[in-house]
Amino acid sequence: MNLIHHDDFGPEGLEPSVAELLKVPPVTLKIDGIEISVPRTILATDPNTGRKFPRPTTIYDAAIEAKVAVPVLCHRDHMTPAAVCRMCTVEVGGRVLAAACHRAVEQGLDVKTHHTSAKVKKAVGILAELLLADTRAPRGAHLEGGNELHAVAKGLGIDPAQPPRFPLTVRDRGRDESSLVIAVDHAACILCDRCVRGCNEVRNNQVLGRAGKGHMARIAFDLDNPMGDSSCVSCGECMVSCPTGALSNRAVVEAKPWAAAKTSPVSPDDLLSHPLFDGISKAFLAWNINSVVRRTFEPGEIVCREGEYGSSAFIIEEGELEIFLQVELKHVAKAKGSFRNSLMGLVRTVVPGLSRRETPSEAPDARRNTIPIDAPVSLDMAKPTATLTPADLLFGEMTCMSSYPRSATVRAKTRVRLLEIQRNVLYTIQRSKKAKSMLDEVYRRRSIDSHLRGVSMFADAIPDPAKFRSFVEELRDKVRLVRLNPGDTVFRQGDPADNYYLVRVGFVKVSTRKAGGELAIAYIGPGGHFGEIALLSRMEELGSSVPPGIRTATVAALDHVDLVAISPEDFRHIMDCYPAIKEGVLREARRRVEQNARMNRGATDATLGEFLKQGLMDAQSLLVLDLAKCTRCDECVKACADAHQGVTRLVREGLRFENYLVASSCRSCLDPHCMVGCPVGSIRRRSSREIVIEDWCIGCGKCAENCPYGNINMHPFPTGKKAPDPDNPSRQLPVMQQKATMCDLCASLDGTPSCVYACPHDAAHRVSGGQLMALAEKRLAASP
Amino acid sequence: MIVQELQKIQERCGWLPPEELVGLSTRLAVPLHRLHEVASYYPLYRLKPPPKVDIKVCRDMACHMAGASRLRAECEAVAAEYPAGEVAVSGVSCLGRCDGAVAASVNDHHYLTRQTAEALRAVIASAHAGNAPHAHHHKAKPLGFKIDVYEGRPEYRALAKWLSNPDAAALLKELEASGLRGMGGAGFPTFRKWGAVRGAPGATKYVVCNADESEPGTFKDRELMISAPWLVVEGIILAGLVVGAGRGWIYIRHEYPEAIDAVRAEIARARSAGILGSNILGKGASFELDVFVSPGGYVQGEESALLEAMEDRRGEPRNKPPFPVFQGLFGKPTVINNVETLSWVPGIIIHGGAWYRDMGTRGATGMRLVSISGDVAKPGVYEVPFGQTMRELLETAGGMAGGKAFKAVALSGPSGGFYPARVPVGELPPPFVAKRVPAGQPYFEILDLQLDFGTCGEMAAMLGAACVVYDETRDMVDQARNAVEFYRNESCGKCVPCRVGGQKLVEMAGELAEGRSPPGRLELIRDLGETMGITSICGLGQVASNPVTSLLRYFPADVGAVRGGRPT
Ligand code: SF4
Ligand code: SF4
Ligand code: SF4
Ligand code: SF4
Ligand code: FES
Ligand code: FES
Repeated sequence: MNLIHHDDFGPEGLEPSVAELLKVPPVTLKIDGIEISVPRTILATDPNTGRKFPRPTTIYDAAIEAKVAVPVLCHRDHMTPAAVCRMCTVEVGGRVLAAACHRAVEQGLDVKTHHTSAKVKKAVGILAELLLADTRAPRGAHLEGGNELHAVAKGLGIDPAQPPRFPLTVRDRGRDESSLVIAVDHAACILCDRCVRGCNEVRNNQVLGRAGKGHMARIAFDLDNPMGDSSCVSCGECMVSCPTGALSNRAVVEAKPWAAAKTSPVSPDDLLSHPLFDGISKAFLAWNINSVVRRTFEPGEIVCREGEYGSSAFIIEEGELEIFLQVELKHVAKAKGSFRNSLMGLVRTVVPGLSRRETPSEAPDARRNTIPIDAPVSLDMAKPTATLTPADLLFGEMTCMSSYPRSATVRAKTRVRLLEIQRNVLYTIQRSKKAKSMLDEVYRRRSIDSHLRGVSMFADAIPDPAKFRSFVEELRDKVRLVRLNPGDTVFRQGDPADNYYLVRVGFVKVSTRKAGGELAIAYIGPGGHFGEIALLSRMEELGSSVPPGIRTATVAALDHVDLVAISPEDFRHIMDCYPAIKEGVLREARRRVEQNARMNRGATDATLGEFLKQGLMDAQSLLVLDLAKCTRCDECVKACADAHQGVTRLVREGLRFENYLVASSCRSCLDPHCMVGCPVGSIRRRSSREIVIEDWCIGCGKCAENCPYGNINMHPFPTGKKAPDPDNPSRQLPVMQQKATMCDLCASLDGTPSCVYACPHDAAHRVSGGQLMALAEKRLAASP
Repeated sequence: MIVQELQKIQERCGWLPPEELVGLSTRLAVPLHRLHEVASYYPLYRLKPPPKVDIKVCRDMACHMAGASRLRAECEAVAAEYPAGEVAVSGVSCLGRCDGAVAASVNDHHYLTRQTAEALRAVIASAHAGNAPHAHHHKAKPLGFKIDVYEGRPEYRALAKWLSNPDAAALLKELEASGLRGMGGAGFPTFRKWGAVRGAPGATKYVVCNADESEPGTFKDRELMISAPWLVVEGIILAGLVVGAGRGWIYIRHEYPEAIDAVRAEIARARSAGILGSNILGKGASFELDVFVSPGGYVQGEESALLEAMEDRRGEPRNKPPFPVFQGLFGKPTVINNVETLSWVPGIIIHGGAWYRDMGTRGATGMRLVSISGDVAKPGVYEVPFGQTMRELLETAGGMAGGKAFKAVALSGPSGGFYPARVPVGELPPPFVAKRVPAGQPYFEILDLQLDFGTCGEMAAMLGAACVVYDETRDMVDQARNAVEFYRNESCGKCVPCRVGGQKLVEMAGELAEGRSPPGRLELIRDLGETMGITSICGLGQVASNPVTSLLRYFPADVGAVRGGRPT
């Protein structure tokens, strides 16, 4: 058997990681006499499905590589193969033929397609004739992309306009025009299952299914409700998935207002002439006609500003743009540790001087000299500005895909023409193999230099610019780009080690297993890197503290992530050639190993139960008010405000557990959701596990939104600056800056938080989830 | 979960009201379309409230021969005498009671055999008055077959014997020596299947007994389960212990309430006797076993479709590979064996592989149960040696009914197509002709065919457990049309060749039967048949054209008669 068994991949049939996929040896097979080598498994191509299982490489995948055209109807690259139309049938030597879109490649397979096998040619011809005799072309519906069934038939030399040889008895299987936007013509449906997979698998809308059985089967919405009465959200995925126009666009939906002026809609044909759109379904572009606009900017005009929220990306058609940071970087540089962990180099407002807290005592990061931004270039710390041209293709992907604030400001240098595209269109572009390879090429040609320069471990070790250039040249064609969907695993703790990874786009979570569950150790974003520990241990450089060649943690994608993989050989080569890099990497690895150990030691072992359901068990530290003792004197709240610039971070209400009130204060969760997505990395976990918000918070509110317990609050603080009052320009008003606040366990006091210290009735306690449960149980046992 | 929950709702409400489905969707956190996909797929479920009286008349092979379509028309006339909508009459696929043709069901759970219009008129009247139908259910009776090594007593000696020295390799050797093969039709060597699952990686494995006997003309497993359920229970426990599976299920078609009751009772008895559970016969081995009641459909007998049903989905066959021995139930390695296959295992353990092997005749290996129906004097289940000729089998079943002449036989229900009394040598593989046909004879006498896997394989014929015999009065065009209708009705609808091709075959067989085929039709039927045979996902679509292609090949006279001798 050549197929992947779930059991082969560790306990509980977990999905294989990217790392495992990349190391499986390739297989060689023949297709119509052409010999071709392909990997045994490939990752699903759709960045949109969230599908975690990679699939075996199919004969169809291999045929594409071999440039042999195999007709397909039910298959789409980004969907799980259904193999129901049998149009891709090929001969592989068995009693029956095989569906190329589903059958996995095998070493030495001799495949014959309809080009070389008369038997296959006859069979697929009959199948096409059957479908033509069983369906009718959709009535009244326009089908921008053409009828794929007709196209496939023509490709096989069958004229769809001719009456079929089979009895033509198309039953009127009915129409459904209850939806305002999509019409359903069951008589044109070939039951390819594409709409069903589009709705459920691609969009996860869970509306469409197949109903009935045999020749009476058809598609149905919910409990066979009319489409318009179903839970359909009119996303249109089913319609753009349909090969025959059985689902068609009823009406042109009213244009969605674009805020900006100087926009013009772009016709599908126009878009198709741009190479990035090559191969994308015309029906899709027609349906999404309002998701793309063309915008022009005069020299000096701002396209987008750092810190703004957005949901679009830009394709550069013409002209030159300047991309830069508006924020005054010297302020930032003064604020101690500002750019440490700064994930996107985005700072909107810097509020120096507010810090009265200690800077956390971690090993300092090496100096950063570039700032990663959401574009094919990184910015130089000394001179944070760069130029974008049509050769860069695209910028703003991360904002568009994962809703991060804009990382930099972009201004037109010359007169520019841009296509602004919405998320659904970007998804589709990333899903297209052609566009993906173009974007990858842009990375290799244009981005790799600044990206590598942004990795301080490399940059610091090779200060000589000429040497650095040759270092980049060496890597340029060797690195491999890996694109992950949210939730995909890069590797799992205990896996054998393979590559070293650099993060280019998005965030990954590093976690380790422990008794009570999983402990998130770090979140790594653009400019970060991981995977060195296991590679180094294999080189016997780390000593015996870690098992050799085995991953010490699990790394998984949190959102849409682009990684750059460096193979162990290349990594080793770098280590050998550049001793300074080796030293830096070793130092970093040692620090991480130590940090992991410290965290694991500290993490409480938790037991399961009802308690866990309340999410409390996950809490390392809870502020608990014993209601039996508390007199509601509010001393704790006052003490908190005193300790934090007059703003309390403690709210004396919250979840009750037995006779204890668990106040809304930070729980220092094992897996802190709040840390994901901070565009400046100012909310973070110190090595001692508690969560802190650093002073360079720009007040975007993302963490407050992400905290599932509502324990982070946004408060205005005076910045010390003044600005004219809009109502009365002669008057100056103090400028306030929103900042996130949360309980910091009063880190500056000697172990006892102010509130606990202040409580005159011994009613406030800091306990872990486990301790709280023990307390409650004790009390329960004591009560009659 | 979904399959059983839907069954529960239906038991409670008589059908599946939408409010109940919405509630179930919330309870199981499963989207509505998933429930509807399952509920609308299986024939057991009702999406509308049931009529007061619901008569379903079997429409397949033996029942068709016994006049099912006329009977149905007569019933419909009776139904018309009642207020509209109160009495419904419809057709149903083979109920596994072909030895009692015409078979019918009343209000789902009650089965009747040897029906006539008068009898059904009385049944309808009584049921309409609210009386529980008096069903003709099968009762346990001594089989008197060699397969029942305990002669009617559940002794489990084979299990005890093996547990006293639990050597899996030795047992597989014994199975290999016995030559035991799958009795569900495919004939796959049992030791190999067990060995593959035993050797497959992974800690969790399963055993499933396929008791979804639905091929028209097949009803032997019914007898085994009703009269000797301990054999299949013991066989499946042994399979589980040998391959390392901790759980097993017996998947029984819902139209076999007698078998379901008998097997359930035997499982309960075995459990209380310490034969099932966590410490089997005090030896520390453990195995759990349950009955899974099929929500219906012939295609569920296809093993991967059966697994899909058990996994709560539409019972559509999977694309293979992967095969169930490697990725079966819930992706785990799974043994799927037929009832009879498992039931032979106790005897083989007790008496040794040679005992089974030597029961065959004329050089063939082993013994089997066969269901025989149609125009024979004594339709029923017989235990016969492999290697017996068709002529001997016919004699065993009392010869031709009414002394008429033999015209044709279906060796594997409708799947293998029809064979005429004399098969022209030109239609047979030359090596077979050289070996089996006297020199100079232009035909092969089908009654001389040795019924064993080897000989049938040489003839490129399928050997199933359903033997249906046709006498000289039968119009084979009509039989073929009836058989392709069966496949059309039972296709799951997943793949194009079977879903659309099956329907086109029915339309074209209709043209043939009505003598209105346009020129070129026969060629197109043959081409379609070939395409369906090599492109369909599962065995159903792959064999669905056999009845009509065998008709064209072997019964030109019958075809010519309705076509008025017109050439194609
Ligand atoms: S339009 Fe409705 S049915 Fe179609 S994919 Fe979207 S949610 Fe599903
Ligand atoms: S509606 Fe279109 S996409 Fe859906 S199954 Fe039918 S043909 Fe395929
Ligand atoms: S509000 Fe939260 S997420 Fe936003 S910058 Fe401040 S700490 Fe980061
Ligand atoms: S051959 Fe028929 S029964 Fe089998 S999968 Fe295809 S449609 Fe379903
Ligand atoms: S494209 Fe492969 S079966 Fe439909
Ligand atoms: S019960 Fe009617 S053919 Fe089997």
